[in-house]
Amino acid sequence: MPHATMPSVGFQAIILCGPGESMSTFTSNRKDFPKALIPIANRPMVWYPLDWCYRMGVTNIHLVTPPESASAIEAALSQNPYLTSLPSPKPDVLAPKDLTQTTGTGEIFRLPEVQREITGDFIVLPCDIICELEGTSFLESWMVQEAGLGGATGGIGDNGPIKSGSGGEKKGRRGGLAIWYPTKGENSIKDEETDFVATTPLSAPIVAPPASSLRPDIGNLVYSMPTDTLNDVVEEHGGFPIRHSLLRKHGRIKMETNYRNAHIFFFPYWILEMIKRNEVIENISEDVLGWWAKAGWQTGLGDKLGLREVLSSSSTPNEDMHESTDLDGMLDDEVDVASLSSTWTSPSTKHPSHQTPLDTSNSLISPTAPSTSSVAPFQPLTIPPILAYIQPSTTKPPLIRRVDTAPALLTTSLLLAKLPSLEELQTTQQQQQQQQQQQQQSPNPPPSTPASRPSPLAHPAKIAWPEGIEKPSRVETDSTLLDAAVTVGARANIRESVVGANCQVGVGVRLQRCVLMEGVVVGENVQLAGCILGRRCRVEGGAVGKGDGGERTRLTDCEVQEGFVVPWGTEAKGEEFAKGLSEGEEEDEEGDTRMGWQVEGEVEGGDEGGIELG
Amino acid sequence: ASSERAMAPPTARVTENTDRQPSQADSTETTQQIVDTDRSSQQPNGSAKSAESVPAEPKLSGAELKKKKQAEKAARREREKAERAAAGGTSVAPNTPAPPQAGKGDSQKKSKPNQQDQKSNQQDKDQKSNQQDKAQHFRRGSGTTPTSQKLPVRSSQPSTQAMTRKKPSSKEVGLFGHLYGHPRRQTLHPTPPKEVHPSVLSLGLQMSTYTVCGSNARCVAMLLAFKAAINAYTTPPQTSLARHLTSHYLSPQITYLNSCRPLSISMGNAIRWLKDLIIKIDPAVPEQDAKLDIADSIDAFIRERITAADTLIASAAADKIQNGDVIVTYAKSSIVQKTLLQAHTQGKRFRVVVVDSKPLFEGRNLARALSNAGITVQYALVTATSHVLGESTKVLIGAHAMMSNGRLYSRVGTAVVAMQAAERDIPVIVCCESVKFTDRVALDSIVGNEIADPDELVGEARGEARSEGGTDVEEVQGNAVNNQGALKDWRKRENLQLLNIMYDVTPAEYIKMVVTEYGSLPPSSVPVVHRISTTV
Repeated sequence: MPHATMPSVGFQAIILCGPGESMSTFTSNRKDFPKALIPIANRPMVWYPLDWCYRMGVTNIHLVTPPESASAIEAALSQNPYLTSLPSPKPDVLAPKDLTQTTGTGEIFRLPEVQREITGDFIVLPCDIICELEGTSFLESWMVQEAGLGGATGGIGDNGPIKSGSGGEKKGRRGGLAIWYPTKGENSIKDEETDFVATTPLSAPIVAPPASSLRPDIGNLVYSMPTDTLNDVVEEHGGFPIRHSLLRKHGRIKMETNYRNAHIFFFPYWILEMIKRNEVIENISEDVLGWWAKAGWQTGLGDKLGLREVLSSSSTPNEDMHESTDLDGMLDDEVDVASLSSTWTSPSTKHPSHQTPLDTSNSLISPTAPSTSSVAPFQPLTIPPILAYIQPSTTKPPLIRRVDTAPALLTTSLLLAKLPSLEELQTTQQQQQQQQQQQQQSPNPPPSTPASRPSPLAHPAKIAWPEGIEKPSRVETDSTLLDAAVTVGARANIRESVVGANCQVGVGVRLQRCVLMEGVVVGENVQLAGCILGRRCRVEGGAVGKGDGGERTRLTDCEVQEGFVVPWGTEAKGEEFAKGLSEGEEEDEEGDTRMGWQVEGEVEGGDEGGIELG
Repeated sequence: ASSERAMAPPTARVTENTDRQPSQADSTETTQQIVDTDRSSQQPNGSAKSAESVPAEPKLSGAELKKKKQAEKAARREREKAERAAAGGTSVAPNTPAPPQAGKGDSQKKSKPNQQDQKSNQQDKDQKSNQQDKAQHFRRGSGTTPTSQKLPVRSSQPSTQAMTRKKPSSKEVGLFGHLYGHPRRQTLHPTPPKEVHPSVLSLGLQMSTYTVCGSNARCVAMLLAFKAAINAYTTPPQTSLARHLTSHYLSPQITYLNSCRPLSISMGNAIRWLKDLIIKIDPAVPEQDAKLDIADSIDAFIRERITAADTLIASAAADKIQNGDVIVTYAKSSIVQKTLLQAHTQGKRFRVVVVDSKPLFEGRNLARALSNAGITVQYALVTATSHVLGESTKVLIGAHAMMSNGRLYSRVGTAVVAMQAAERDIPVIVCCESVKFTDRVALDSIVGNEIADPDELVGEARGEARSEGGTDVEEVQGNAVNNQGALKDWRKRENLQLLNIMYDVTPAEYIKMVVTEYGSLPPSSVPVVHRISTTV
């Protein structure tokens, strides 16, 4: 995968590697095979957020994981061929000792080990996100909309905390950005979890943004909660109560329930301080986002959350400041880029007493003129906004999806398998070039079509080791991915499938819409459709019995656990094959383990509830 | 000619140079063609033999083509010289073949080499046909038998040729063709240089989207961003900070900023000062100290040249405002705003008329800020200038730059306001810090200017109304879309060009006074102030 060397973009990434509650069939062995390493289209899950970060120039990456999974992730980072092919520097694995599988995502950021590592603005990602949309597009929007003016940043530099400049959070800049993606539409997963999100439009741009800009789909977040919480609220109150202060501030509010939070957050440094100060914050997507969004319009909430102190001294979390070595002069308080800029309205002066008596109606110009005459006890707090990018559900949107359930794993893997590989693209491009050259000979060359850029998620080749396929057999390369060292027996028929490294597909096997993780052995004449087979499991083969009632193995929509052996003659539909568990027990088991610090939103059912702030 | 050179923004020069390199052959070729057509119309008695001598081989490789072209060009030059000598004083001297601006612009647009090849191939063919054609023309002129069939062919060919030549640049206004460089960088693609610091990275994008706009704001923001960048800098081993910092670290940042939007005069002055400061740092000074020193100097620079200067200018200019004044101002200048607010706090009673224009509508921000402060404000677009000036007593405007010949280089539209004010003997007062003074001169606003994206004039056409579902949203945007409908697909319309320039030049005679931190002066004193401010 080509990684152009982006300059440093001023962010560091925190990838949360959770336990994977909703894929319990494959995450039972968290010590050796944590969720982060489950393959999606043959690449370990964590490869996707890592690659995304590297591509946008973020190289300071930390993987946060409970201590029990740390060694497995460390090992994979230095051994897995996909992970080792990522550019350097290697991500650091952070395994805070107090971090358990049930720690909330907000609590993670209160752990001293994590806090120590965050020295500036940061991006929070789950390990199960696949985002085809380039991170740089989000960065562009963030930089234009939210980056501090005149180099204002926050964080901890070499010489202690960096002073926040005047163009930063004090002036309502340096907010955040979160991403939502549609759950309905093409290739969507059935019954995917959704979030409730309400946004207001941003103020009109000074000039039209460039065509590639995400700006038209970015709004100002005013409400955010899981749909389940929303349903609870609606049930409780017999409707969704909306505060007047919201309507007073925003006339046009767009509410959506068909989108899901991608759990990618671009956060300024001061958010860390906010999480630290408010012990009630349990997780990010619900508490941090929800409160931050509300604080933007609910008067007094910002003060309740301690944001006034956070924003005014956000960059001085340590009491022992080395101000003398700081490179900042006394200038920052004096110069304000925004008020110099000709495209900004400068804030009104602090001398309301000089108001002229002939205060004619200026309503034409300023509908929102702040009442300068009313003497407020203190200045109203400006809270930097949290922006929401809501991916429009167009016909072929770039893929953004969280892969946290088995069906999601299956559909996403198969979707990725359909992407044309780099190899194919090269050949088609060569063909196009040849055509173009031929056309050049002709007097009127038609305009050359722009070469289609390969998807960043495309594999170098669909079949890594073509020699392993015995003839005659059928492998549909359009929609199938075969990893290295896969052997395929004669008369096998593989369609729309992903086969991991070192798998052995026997003679006469039929695979359709299947995902085989690495080292799976599929015996001869087995028929599989819509199945996910865990690592090193075996589906025994045999001779097909005669007639309809003859012995055969046919699995449809099944999940097979790691290392499980499915005996010859099994016919099943929609079952899970797991060690030592009958189906009923399994259900219970699942119920028990179902709370966890998996990046939130995974929890099914509305039992968790949201924290309501009055 | 020297004035032309001096006037072009330094940065624009750089980009043009780099651009011209690969497409040199191309632009010279268009030049030749123009010369050809010119001559064919003006001097029908030219010799026909060189034209005839052009061999008619079908296909040539790129290198061969180039060689051939060079040979042709040399031959033509010879011929021209000879002709000119022969013509002597009898005929009117041929127009000096100034490079056509449109041609240059179009050559810059192309980037793909194969396309260029095609093009040159095509042009070569065109040229050949043109010459053959000319040869026929000449032959006819000299009495040889013209075939009656050839005539329509001859008349039709040049026209088609002209079309093919003009087409790629048809969206660039010819007079300003030399100003079209790369479009502004508005994205992080292609990847910026590795050295660019995050704050510079975001500043660039903020500048190209006008989030940071205005000469002062951009200058200050740039210096602050450079301060952050220098803070993050470490000198690599075996070099000294003084030698390495500017050339290897600051210049990529400057180039990046320039690609986002051409640097302002004030930024250029600040950069010159900063480079000078860095180069003078003693290599013996420890790096940390040197960096601290630079940061302090940058702070001092901003304070002395901009913040404090603004205060001085504002108080000086506020003294010029009297009770009962009606002040006209154009767009938004931070100093003018400061001046007006200061006069207001001094208790003076006056009215302000903010004149504004598309597409930035900067004046709205000024109008809002002033009205928030309690000043009576009237807002009008530039089209209403003459009406608005009727009752005004003073015109107070800001500057992008003051030229050495006393002319004011400022947001486009300023000149109109100043001219109309001068006609009515309303004093025009310019507020300008000395950091915006330049030793260049400007005679017009064509030679040096900045072209912005013409789509800005069209409005939100490119963003398309992507809103889905919501009826009220659609209604609101639907109106806007309808208003833009007429120009929406202007790129597809053949005879339609849009010009969106950023600045214009106001002649010195319209300006009564320039208020600087060195005092209030006539525009003729600009070079003096510039000399003082740069030598001190």
